[in-house]
Amino acid sequence: MAMAEPAVEAEDGAPFTAYREPVRREWLDYNGHLNDASYALVFSAAHELVLEHLGLSAAYRESHQASMFTVETHIRFLAECSDGQTLTASTILVDADDKRLRLYSELYADGVLAATGESLYVHVDTTAGRSAVLPDDRRTRVEAMREAHAEQPRPPHLGLGVGSRP
Amino acid sequence: MNDRITTPYEGRPAVWDDDAVIDAPLRLHHTTAPPEWMDYNDHMSESCFLLAFGDNADAFFRFLGIDEAYRAAGHSLYTSETHLHHRLEVALGEPLVMTLQVLDHDDRRLHLFHEMRHGESDVLIASAEQLLVHVDTEAGRSADLPEQLRTRLDAIAAAHAALPRPDVVGRPMGIRRRHGQDGQDG
Repeated sequence: MAMAEPAVEAEDGAPFTAYREPVRREWLDYNGHLNDASYALVFSAAHELVLEHLGLSAAYRESHQASMFTVETHIRFLAECSDGQTLTASTILVDADDKRLRLYSELYADGVLAATGESLYVHVDTTAGRSAVLPDDRRTRVEAMREAHAEQPRPPHLGLGVGSRP
Repeated sequence: MNDRITTPYEGRPAVWDDDAVIDAPLRLHHTTAPPEWMDYNDHMSESCFLLAFGDNADAFFRFLGIDEAYRAAGHSLYTSETHLHHRLEVALGEPLVMTLQVLDHDDRRLHLFHEMRHGESDVLIASAEQLLVHVDTEAGRSADLPEQLRTRLDAIAAAHAALPRPDVVGRPMGIRRRHGQDGQDG
């Protein structure tokens, strides 16, 4: 994964669609379909690209001794994915405050919606081992993306608990 | 690296004993965080928590009666939703003990709750709430559970009826804004 810090003025495309990967054989289970944990792996990788875009990925961890930690992830499995398919993700920054981010992604296999994934992240000072407010420059980037994504439609299932239907 | 994902229980036939006492919650799986689950920081990667919960689910399937033979006959349980809560990190070699609670079930759906705890301190590390559906794999659609599995699930649910309902069950995700709150969700 690229470690470079993004340009501060980078485009906040809405939604964010940088993730694109072919299904890997080692992600499949006994029946030749994408394993549950592999969906989590893919959402995590897609969200890492968003964090990288915000300057909150690996390079940030090194330079600031701080990092975004995943607090919650909710995946809805909608279709099977198999070898040979290409996975893409479309992500919106749903909400943010001075230390937390909430991302929502739709995962597509060859263009067909295969899963949705929603994650809550908290900014942690890794030296102190506790949550901490984002530095101002990162907060500015987060705010810019939140505003750029504000007009994106919010699906009715967003934020619902397991088993709830819109 | 395996060329696909396997669970420690693959190939092990399901064994149900009508007379056995059913643990509440079930304790069917424990493991030690292996090197291949670690990130560059030597903490367990996020998606590997779901590998561990998946292994716990597979142990439960075999406890219930769903093994390779059952699947080969044309039915299986598919996950429709999973909601993970992460509380603590896991370091290489830490002992992990998993529990499983049946929250609810009907003709074709199962609502489960897994916990991952530290094998020595018993502190809660992570949890997973899951909704599963019984499917006819050839038809590619949901199908009623057979009578035998329903009866077993009734017995497990009865044994689990007295367990407290974990506070995170059914809880929607969100940034809860409370005045003066410092943001510790985990």
